[in-house]
Amino acid sequence: MTSTPISNWTVLMTAVTAVLPFVAFLLIMVFTRKNERLSAGLSIGAVSVSLAGALFLIIQYRHLTTSVQYAGKWLVSGFITIPVGFLLDPLSLLMLTIVTVICFLVQIYSLGYMAGDRGFSRYYAFMSLFAWAMISLTLSASLFQLYVFWELVGLSSYLLIGFWYEKFSASEAGKKAFVMTRLGDVAFMLGLLLVLMNLGNLDILKLNSPMVTAVMSPGLITLSALLIFGGVVGKSAQFPLLTWLPDAMEGPTPVSALLHSATMVAAGVFLFARLFPFFSHSATAMTVCLAVGTISMLLSSTMAMVSRDIKQVWAYSTISQLGYMIMGLAAGGYVAGVFHLTTHAGFKALLFLCSGVFIHQYETNDMFDIGRKGGRHLKTPMICMVIAAAALSGLPPFSGFFSKEMIMAQLAGLGNPIWLTAGLAGVFLTAYYAFRLIFIIVFPKEINDEAAQENSAVHGHEETEHHHDREMAWPLVILAAITVVLGFGKKMLQGFLSGRLAGVEEMAGHHSDWLLYVSVSLAVLGLVVTWMEFGRRKAGQIGFVERIPALKSLFLERWYIDRMYRRLLDVVIYRGVSNICTQNDNRVIDGSIDAVCDGTVKSGRMISDLHLSMIQYKLLVMFVAVFFLALYFFF
Amino acid sequence: MMNWIIFSPEFYFLLVSTVFLCLSMMRRIKPEQLYFTALVLASVGVGVCLACVRLTGDLFSGTYRIDLFSQVFKVMLSMGLFLVVCLCTELEGIAKRHHPEFYFLLSACTLAMMMLVSSVHLLTVYVALELSSYSLYTLVFLRKGRDRGVDAGLKYFLIGASASALMLFGFALLYGSIHVAYLVEILKILPKVLNRPVVIIALILLLTGFFFKLAVFPFHFWAPDVYESAANQVTTYIATASKVAAIAILIRIVALAGDGSAYLVHMLVTLSIVTMTIGNLAAVVQKDFKRLLAYSSVAHAGYVLIGILSMSQAGYSSAIFYALSILMMKFTCFLVLVKVSDDGRNLDIEHLAGLHRRSPILAMALMMALFGLAGIPPTIGFTGKLLIFTAAMQKGYFMLVLIAMINVVISLYYYLLVVRAAYLLEPKEQLPELQVPGSIKVLAGLLIFGMVAGGIFPQYIIELSRTAAMTLM
Repeated sequence: MTSTPISNWTVLMTAVTAVLPFVAFLLIMVFTRKNERLSAGLSIGAVSVSLAGALFLIIQYRHLTTSVQYAGKWLVSGFITIPVGFLLDPLSLLMLTIVTVICFLVQIYSLGYMAGDRGFSRYYAFMSLFAWAMISLTLSASLFQLYVFWELVGLSSYLLIGFWYEKFSASEAGKKAFVMTRLGDVAFMLGLLLVLMNLGNLDILKLNSPMVTAVMSPGLITLSALLIFGGVVGKSAQFPLLTWLPDAMEGPTPVSALLHSATMVAAGVFLFARLFPFFSHSATAMTVCLAVGTISMLLSSTMAMVSRDIKQVWAYSTISQLGYMIMGLAAGGYVAGVFHLTTHAGFKALLFLCSGVFIHQYETNDMFDIGRKGGRHLKTPMICMVIAAAALSGLPPFSGFFSKEMIMAQLAGLGNPIWLTAGLAGVFLTAYYAFRLIFIIVFPKEINDEAAQENSAVHGHEETEHHHDREMAWPLVILAAITVVLGFGKKMLQGFLSGRLAGVEEMAGHHSDWLLYVSVSLAVLGLVVTWMEFGRRKAGQIGFVERIPALKSLFLERWYIDRMYRRLLDVVIYRGVSNICTQNDNRVIDGSIDAVCDGTVKSGRMISDLHLSMIQYKLLVMFVAVFFLALYFFF
Repeated sequence: MMNWIIFSPEFYFLLVSTVFLCLSMMRRIKPEQLYFTALVLASVGVGVCLACVRLTGDLFSGTYRIDLFSQVFKVMLSMGLFLVVCLCTELEGIAKRHHPEFYFLLSACTLAMMMLVSSVHLLTVYVALELSSYSLYTLVFLRKGRDRGVDAGLKYFLIGASASALMLFGFALLYGSIHVAYLVEILKILPKVLNRPVVIIALILLLTGFFFKLAVFPFHFWAPDVYESAANQVTTYIATASKVAAIAILIRIVALAGDGSAYLVHMLVTLSIVTMTIGNLAAVVQKDFKRLLAYSSVAHAGYVLIGILSMSQAGYSSAIFYALSILMMKFTCFLVLVKVSDDGRNLDIEHLAGLHRRSPILAMALMMALFGLAGIPPTIGFTGKLLIFTAAMQKGYFMLVLIAMINVVISLYYYLLVVRAAYLLEPKEQLPELQVPGSIKVLAGLLIFGMVAGGIFPQYIIELSRTAAMTLM
């Protein structure tokens, strides 16, 4: 992997792509906060230019075989220079395209979804801030730069989750997300420092080159890889830091679609993929990653099986799909993991945006309510949602099928059958919870008179609202089309991605036919079970899990992870550490500072009073002082 | 035959003051016309000084020197005058009939200060210093509402006169002991005779005159009263242009001592510490904004002394840099003060409450200026302090820098009190939005930009002040 300097034209293009959303953010914050249309226009304009730039770049570099790097230096002071630059390779170009496409579609969709909100301009400003940070993150040439934008992405996530800050739960959720991801980031930062100390720089290409093994011992590589993986765990909401993501659903739905499913949470996986060769040096680290991915995948699938909140289900599903990606990557399937990231970005964003239409229309998150109020009458979102759910469950011919197949093949290639078993179990669970939601909405069991009335009301409603629903419908259709088509681009994408890894041999997956049949039939089995329990006419709409109270409450309470954290916080942090600190703060620090401050103010008052004296005394002081100064010489 | 071209800035300002002298004798001249004339003349003055910046030469049998050092300070002085004139749209603090005199005295004072920074002979130094002082005494008297201005003016005059007397005595002693009055000659002799008591006492006495100008302890007693009682524009002038000139002449005189002696350094260190501590402590409890700025000026005089007493090229150039930063930061504070108290009255800090809503740009400018004065990066004030402290550290004055740092922390307290008033406090009664003319907004914007740009890219100014300081050694 050699780096070649890019032509100036491309650098300019990349820079414009990266920086324009930031300009939009500044303009909106400073000038156009009062003018909503202009704010939205600025933001969408900036992101469309970024989209065009991304498409231009990926088309220009479609035959790329070596990484292209542009590095400049940013002078901080006379001695310290921090390299900044762009790294263009198949991975970053692909991610850039995903990010800009989804950003663009979500911003269009938000025109309808956020219409009439008081914070409309603020919303678009934050969206632009996020777009800037995320695009720059994907293009970063060094881990330091990546880290900066990593944090900025976290910041914009915090701002957008707590967007409706008047709502207590929303600002609480924002805080929770911020703190929990920060925990992971501490590990990430430590990992970076470790690498920096041993390697001397944080250049991604250097880190990925084979020479790393010569400089760092295997133990060190494992340790730093695990620490960096801590950042991945935080950002991608993996076990044990997974509980912030469901809470993050307090934000507006388009935000959930963009940040908390398609792009931001995928940044963790992106980082993993970015440093894939580095991680590959340590088998131990890879195994730990595999385990974490598997546990998160299974845990969150079970949580999704009992939730009534439509967005929560997709949030859990996001965690589990991210778990799949990490499993794929950790099993050595670079292309499989990244491919699943790509397809997932499409269909998960679609799922959220569809749910957004329902939530917008019926003003409830409860899937039973939505079903009762006639959710199935909204044709376009319903069809799109079914397509996306099918992709999510891995049913052919939708995109999720192809990418999930690749991951399964990778898992089958591993020596230990436990990973494959877990993965296949996940397939069943995924199909179950995805279609549970669909069937509940499509086949509501309690349509009564009231609901029928509402039906007609909804119809009237639909017509009046059609004008601004169009903005919301188009992105859905486009994403649905992508979901249908993307899977067939597998070969092309594979070629594009593996060009980068020409040096590193791809672990060949098992392309055995039986696996294909097993996983598809498991998905179908999940579908059938759901049909039996929720879909058919006489179904009680109570899942088999819900029949076992212990299991149900275990899943509903998120395996008691949150409670455990709460206990830990109460006992160790609040009563232990924080209590001591408070005492110290009150008695020692405050006391002494108060004394110093009082002393300062008192002496100030005294000196100030001295200046109010008569002119004679002032002159006297003058002469005496001069006299003593002169006298001092003789000693 | 003397080369008169190099004297042109002084000529120009002589001309300007003559114009205003004539105007003061005419009846019926409108204040707006006067203001406009002054603005044009002052802006041309900046241009003249800028054009002459690279000139060098000697005049008046070598008693007067034009070099980069003096020319840089002349540019700063003319800028100071121009900026002060910019604030004179409503000259409410001074009676209408005194307006021509006000402009005359301002330009005469500027002329005197320009002569001061170029003087290289004890006599020319004395003459220029007195000329500038007398203009200022009178300017302080001009405050409308009789007793106030008179009281402060008289104090100013009495302290100034005593300081002059001491200084004159110092001149006499110095001349009597080494028999030369040209600074160039003194520079050659003085470092060798610094251990003689009479020389050192002469030096102490001689410095008092400049300490008075800069408001260094124990000659700072005039500052709070004069700042408080003079008209706002006059205070602005005293706090900016007059300080710049005082720093210039002090650098020139201290540079005479070469590497200095332990005693001289001790004396200056003592004065510097006492000055900044008194200034900062007294400022903490002030309620009147101008009085607070007066004590802050005293404290800054202490900081500047640190640079000067380092007696190295780095020290002198840092002091020059600091002079420029003080000029900008103090002026910005006064710009806000003058614009907020449009009827020319004094301003309490609590009157600034709600400023960020009444005029965001002024509040912003005030905040940046105060941050600069407190030495918060990335403002020009931070860079200035950094340079000064670095120069002192190079000489190994660790304790001095430490004490200065503590002082900076104390100063942060009262600067932030003002920022708090402007941004966080709600006014007691609802105040209307301030009517700030566009030109002032632009000026405030430029000042903000300048303070930040000077903090982030100080390279050019540092280079310039370094070359200027080189001409002294």
